[in-house]
Amino acid sequence: MTRALTIAGLVLFLLVILVPFWWIASMSFKTYEQIQFASSIYVPKPFTWENYTGLWSETRFPLWLRNSVVTALVVTLISTVVAALAGYAVARIRFPGREAVASIILIVYLIPPALLFIPLYRVLAELGATNSLFALFLSYPTFTVPFCTWLLIGFFKALPDELEEAALIDGAGRITAFVRVLLPLAAPGLVASAIFAFTLSWNEFLYALVFIQDEKALTVPVGLNLLIYGDVFHWGQLMAASVITTIPVVALYMFIHRWMAEGLVAGGVKG
Amino acid sequence: MTREAGALALGAPAPRRRRLGRQRNRDLGTAALFLLPLFVLVLGLIFYPFYRAVWLSFTDKLVGYPERFVGLRNYEYLAQDDAFHQVIRNSFVFTVVSVGLKIVTGIGMALVLNSIIRGRNFFRGLFLLPWITSTVIIALTWRWMFDAFPGRGFFNSVLLDMGILRQPIAFMATPEGAMMAVIVANWWRGFPFFGVSFLAGMASIPRETYEAASVDGAGAGRRFWHITLPGLKHVIIVTTLLSFIMTINDFNIIYVMTRGGPGSATQVFATYSYQVAFQQLRWGRGVTISIFLVPLLVVGIALISRYLLREGRGK
Amino acid sequence: MPSRHLSRRTVLAGALGASAALALPRLGFPAVKKGTSLRLWILKTYVEPTNKAIEASAQRWAQKHGAAVTVEYFTFEDMQTKYVAAIESKSTPDVGQLETSAPSRFAGMGQLLDLTSFSKQIESQAGKAPANVAPVTMMDGKVYSIPWYVMGAFWYVWRDVFEKAKVKLPSTFAEAREAAQALTRPKDNFYGMGQSWNRTADGYGVMQSLMYSYGVGWAGKDGKYKSIKTPQMQTVMKWATDIYTNQLQPADTLTWTGSGNNENFIAKNVAQTSNGPSITFAMENAVAKATDAKDKKMKEDALANHVALPHLGGPDGRRMQAIAMSMGVFKGSKDPEAAMSLIAHLVSPEETVMVMKDSYGQFAPVLEKAKTASKDYFNKNENYRTFGRAAEWFAPTGWPGPVTAAAAEVQASNVLTDAPAKVIVDKWSVDQAIEWEDKKIKEIYDTLRA
Repeated sequence: MTRALTIAGLVLFLLVILVPFWWIASMSFKTYEQIQFASSIYVPKPFTWENYTGLWSETRFPLWLRNSVVTALVVTLISTVVAALAGYAVARIRFPGREAVASIILIVYLIPPALLFIPLYRVLAELGATNSLFALFLSYPTFTVPFCTWLLIGFFKALPDELEEAALIDGAGRITAFVRVLLPLAAPGLVASAIFAFTLSWNEFLYALVFIQDEKALTVPVGLNLLIYGDVFHWGQLMAASVITTIPVVALYMFIHRWMAEGLVAGGVKG
Repeated sequence: MTREAGALALGAPAPRRRRLGRQRNRDLGTAALFLLPLFVLVLGLIFYPFYRAVWLSFTDKLVGYPERFVGLRNYEYLAQDDAFHQVIRNSFVFTVVSVGLKIVTGIGMALVLNSIIRGRNFFRGLFLLPWITSTVIIALTWRWMFDAFPGRGFFNSVLLDMGILRQPIAFMATPEGAMMAVIVANWWRGFPFFGVSFLAGMASIPRETYEAASVDGAGAGRRFWHITLPGLKHVIIVTTLLSFIMTINDFNIIYVMTRGGPGSATQVFATYSYQVAFQQLRWGRGVTISIFLVPLLVVGIALISRYLLREGRGK
Repeated sequence: MPSRHLSRRTVLAGALGASAALALPRLGFPAVKKGTSLRLWILKTYVEPTNKAIEASAQRWAQKHGAAVTVEYFTFEDMQTKYVAAIESKSTPDVGQLETSAPSRFAGMGQLLDLTSFSKQIESQAGKAPANVAPVTMMDGKVYSIPWYVMGAFWYVWRDVFEKAKVKLPSTFAEAREAAQALTRPKDNFYGMGQSWNRTADGYGVMQSLMYSYGVGWAGKDGKYKSIKTPQMQTVMKWATDIYTNQLQPADTLTWTGSGNNENFIAKNVAQTSNGPSITFAMENAVAKATDAKDKKMKEDALANHVALPHLGGPDGRRMQAIAMSMGVFKGSKDPEAAMSLIAHLVSPEETVMVMKDSYGQFAPVLEKAKTASKDYFNKNENYRTFGRAAEWFAPTGWPGPVTAAAAEVQASNVLTDAPAKVIVDKWSVDQAIEWEDKKIKEIYDTLRA
């Protein structure tokens, strides 16, 4: 590609991607009246922190944030462990029915949450898990694990056989070979898998909306939906909440995106 | 068909190795152990609810009342329900257009990133921002971008301010406009994933192939059509499949942006199912709506599997 | 070591207890066991002080009885979902605040406790509810909830705009339509009206008010389905779709969310709209938050210029579909007596007035004694006097019949607002839309068990 075209493309993409973020952030620093009367469009005048302070002190947002973080961490842990174990077994252990299992994982991933949310609700209610984060700890892995497993199958497949074989010939058991030899090598894949699980969990809305009613146990997406009172939208607060919710994930990514892209390569391309 | 897909997921079989019989048995045991958590999860929280969903679709379950078996009544009702026909149309329009746009933009993004060397990682990370943002926030963001209320709507504010518009445009007030708005939101969120995948795909095309083509006199355009695109075929198919399935199931973006409106202009499977189940309290019918999607998905997977198989054989 | 003789303390306590029981008038409410814990669900209104006031009232009860109350909120949006979810997972609260159609809906499912005799006790304590509100709480002649207040809808107008154009303030739907025509100035981004047929109370509520005021109901007095293919419905549909022509309303009116009409009214983009008192609340708030003297004057003028008129009437009367809130006890409650005690406390005149004072007019008490006690509060100004009369014009969902589960589903299915949308957006004819709406309603009545 020519230099000019490349730069034009770069600028275009930058604008497309960054402008919406800027719009929200900018509005988060405006007062209700500024937004209502469109008094200062591009740069907030006066610049105010009241939406942030109001959000933190007047709403349950801090609680929701905590709930989202806890849920995402727990689900990520469960998902990574289950997916790593299953992914390794399918990728590296030759057992009868191996291909069938791989197919099942693919199929299972494609069962839509929109199909399962009603009966899943009843199942969770019978387990007594509804109206608490436990409902999410149990239900979120249903979509994170299949995807992460599929990803890790591809990733494990890409690792050379020799090291493991060497360990096995040396008399180590499968499990030891797995833990000592393969896992460290698969670190990028595991990180990628963990980040996917975290993101999917952080984003999830439908299950959290349906399974949890207690306002104190909500996650951020559902809480934000709730902040829309109906008659008086606290627009500024909603914007502030959006900014706050996005920052940690962005920070996490800027730090780790390199690993993630590698994970996508190994999983997405090969899988 | 799908077994082959599974086989392909595993890649070509490794060359035969010596296997001690004892190791074999231990392997089976280990495999079973490693697969146990997945097995429990899939059985208990996916297959079992799926089975119950199917059962529920044959009942007239109404919240608060015990269910009664009614056979295919829900299916028959939906088959002739004009609202459901619209849901099917909307879902396909939404998914096909959105995925199509994502493919094209993804290729563009990959080409751009591929052309820069310094700072590539930085930009790649930056461009992934939409993909990692919560979809609820993205839905709210784009709702505000298209808002007709000048203080909130980006496009209206800018266009009014620049004098291009005298009155704000209500982008989301018409069926076409609302559909466009939700497509834009979905596209914006999704194309970075395509871009990054394609970029990685491009990296695996050997440099020599390009160099040889240049030497033979092929220009940038021809190199793109005859080397880049074919080389990306596998990635494109896989990414498109994933995105198609995620998009046609989408709830968040449409629910938060338009609630399926105006009227039923942007009502899709997931939002309609939710409305019927939780506002009209008809769970039997609500579940049936989603089950209609299953055959479509099965067909989709089968088609893609066949494609992968053909390609695999060709190699 | 157990003592064979009763200690003096025990005897004394016993004597005191006995005399106390004899001395107090028999209220009929059993004593609440100490340490009882109740779950209370209340509506999160648009006005935060009201929500806090109700919670505070509940806590006062808790303190008085050494019990505990956990308050959980639901919003206008998830009113159905939350209760539905709770019913299916058998985790209903002890006491729930129920909107207009909820008592009959949930009673029909066998979820609510029969409160008929309890309601008689409340009557003697707090007075009766007016005849047009009482049906909300009943099913098959039994009472399942205690009515508390009505959240009315009113017709908001900008007085100065009307005066300047020398247009009379509207009292009927027909007049409002004419006024909109006279006042609309699209070139200045100002419109004659802002009525959205969206899926909120501002949409389906006004549609019902329109229908009922023209004498159109989809159910008969017996609660059974009745066809709406009548000349009056034609007039109704024409009014509903007419206002979307001739640039009488902003272009995006149909897609407004619940706050769309508020914002457009407060920003003076529209001359008229239907809403609850939260608009007044927002404007009073704006005055309080004014940044400087000039800003304050502007906000005060706005406050003075906005008028909340009684909701529009039609040839058949002035009927306002609104949210009538009542309190019910769920059968799953482990301590129904404590639950009833809590309700008695909340709906008592004293507590009601205290909550109402923080409600910025949203909350029009329906029980007589509370209504009388709140007369002074509502005498604040003309707008508030109108707010206080909300119960007068109240017509429940399913008018003229009783509130039934089928009527509730008609509202929940969005067919009432989808019908005019089909004419406005999909360019159907009025006849087609009415035909479609009638068919959908009949279907609901035919296939619903209740």
